[in-house]
Amino acid sequence: MHGIDWVDVGLSGLKIAVVLGAMLNVTPIMVWVERRGSALIQDRPGPNRVGPFGLFQSFADALKFILKEDMLPAKANKVLYTIAPMFGLIPALTTIAVVPWGRPFLLPGGRLFEPIIANVNIGILLIFALASMGVYGIVMAGWASANKYSLFGGIRASAQMISYELSLTLAAVSALMVAGSLSLPDVVWRQTGSFVLFNVIKLPAWNIFSPAMWIAFVVFFVSAFAETNRLPFDFAEAEAELVAGYHTEYSSMKFALFFMSEYMAMATMSALITTLFLGGWDIPWYNEPPNALGFALSVLAFVVKVSVLLFIFVWVRWTIPRLKYDLLMKLGWKVFLPAAVINIVIVALFIAKRWI
Amino acid sequence: MIPTHWFLILSAILFTIGVCGVLTRKNGITIFMCIELMVNAVNLTFVAYARQFHQIHGLLFVFFVMAIAAAEAAVGLAIFISLFHHRHTIDVDEANLMRW
Amino acid sequence: MISFAIFFFFAAVAVIFAAMVVLHRNPVVGALSLVASFFALAVMYVLLEAPFLAALQVIVYAGAIMVLFLFVIMLLNLQHQEEPRTRPVQQFLGYTTSAAFGLALIYYLAKYGVTKLPEGAFVSDARTIGIKMFEGYIFPFEMVSILLLAAIVGALLLSGRTGVAKNEETS
Repeated sequence: MHGIDWVDVGLSGLKIAVVLGAMLNVTPIMVWVERRGSALIQDRPGPNRVGPFGLFQSFADALKFILKEDMLPAKANKVLYTIAPMFGLIPALTTIAVVPWGRPFLLPGGRLFEPIIANVNIGILLIFALASMGVYGIVMAGWASANKYSLFGGIRASAQMISYELSLTLAAVSALMVAGSLSLPDVVWRQTGSFVLFNVIKLPAWNIFSPAMWIAFVVFFVSAFAETNRLPFDFAEAEAELVAGYHTEYSSMKFALFFMSEYMAMATMSALITTLFLGGWDIPWYNEPPNALGFALSVLAFVVKVSVLLFIFVWVRWTIPRLKYDLLMKLGWKVFLPAAVINIVIVALFIAKRWI
Repeated sequence: MIPTHWFLILSAILFTIGVCGVLTRKNGITIFMCIELMVNAVNLTFVAYARQFHQIHGLLFVFFVMAIAAAEAAVGLAIFISLFHHRHTIDVDEANLMRW
Repeated sequence: MISFAIFFFFAAVAVIFAAMVVLHRNPVVGALSLVASFFALAVMYVLLEAPFLAALQVIVYAGAIMVLFLFVIMLLNLQHQEEPRTRPVQQFLGYTTSAAFGLALIYYLAKYGVTKLPEGAFVSDARTIGIKMFEGYIFPFEMVSILLLAAIVGALLLSGRTGVAKNEETS
């Protein structure tokens, strides 16, 4: 029985602290981006009272959430009503553990520092497994509120989530087939380097630049919207229709937990999209050296890519109207699922002919 | 390393609990859930033996058992739903039209 | 050392929540306890060096089948249905039979169980499983897909309305 490697434990603790801090900070930043971004798109000022450019609006919101009365509807099932928001947080906080956010580099002692919390060899399956736990939060929230509108919102949202989980998984399989492995660091390593097009243009070897992956990228991107319940797929909230859907009866901290878990799930999905299709931490046309400078630059590249995708999430929300529910389900089952399966066949063809 | 017969004993306990549930309860959904519990106990046995003899066939069998259990759950719940619509009760003892 | 602690903790979780499925009146609580039990079983699979199956267990069982169970329970409003009390004769016979069965099983497993631990690592990642499946088990794989299609069609037909329950529009 060997002794415990305390340096390893310390490094893991540091990694967990960094990632947890980043995830918990996503919500305040995204709230500000959402409100100013929507104001920009709708040609109005947005919050500009609380601090310069309304930057402290998130603190004001957090204070409001903490000070609001925490109520419990009379006929609600107390236990389920209380634990439902916690189920929403599980996928948001745990799935980021298998996403690599920087380049592995050599520490001075010769040890390799891998910026990923859990480098298991079934990486992406963990993400799918924990994301399917998110459905329970919505179902329980809708049902435990003892309110017809909440129940409808909950059932519709969870049916939508489990339908789009299928196309999400199958679209991700294309990127995994190319890498030949289920672990996300392998997928990113496969996308470093570059390939030359028409002997003239040198493109980074990201998955999005190969024509076999275009359908999968579109399917994955749109299914990510459906999975995180963002417009145009936000039947869970559906402000104009169901009052506020499954979180009608929630207030103060419990509502804040739902709110936070939605933004954190958005961040995780953006991280997943960059890892699978946009090259993860890879800087285009640049070979990062395996030292601290390369690591810092790769983390910066990852953060930039995730931020761009998060802004696109906000942009789409305020631009495209909500889809009707039966059209949404038809889209998920009759368009995206066959498209993802066809894309698997196309990628298999490309791999067999060695075009990729 | 954990001895394999500990996993087998755990599987036996879960199977026994499932058998007890099927024999004792009258709610159709609860009986279904106990059947799923029994299937999972058997899955655990398969995986334990696969690890003991380093045979991957055990894991493949578990894969197929999971797929079959999913199909069985879907059809079983559909049968239960149609039974509920006709009899308006969840008591499986009431499904007794074929008794003489 | 720590794997023994994990084993005992999650074995206790699995057994306790399984007992709650059997003993609690409310089927919603039963379904959620079963989810917890399945999670504990997934941890058992990781301890048995089969992480792929652990992820599959959570995705298929805890993530899909139990959601189906919860949908059915919630849409049919089954938690308000009073399950009649089981007759004492049936209860007594049920508990004693299952207890005898369980004790016999555990006794013989403890007596004749294989105790020699295997050497070496167990290679059970996705690549090995995939190769083995498509080499030797390709026929069952295809048959399972046809079986799932049959199950989907069967479930759709069985749960369709027959005109009797038109008034109770629940979904």
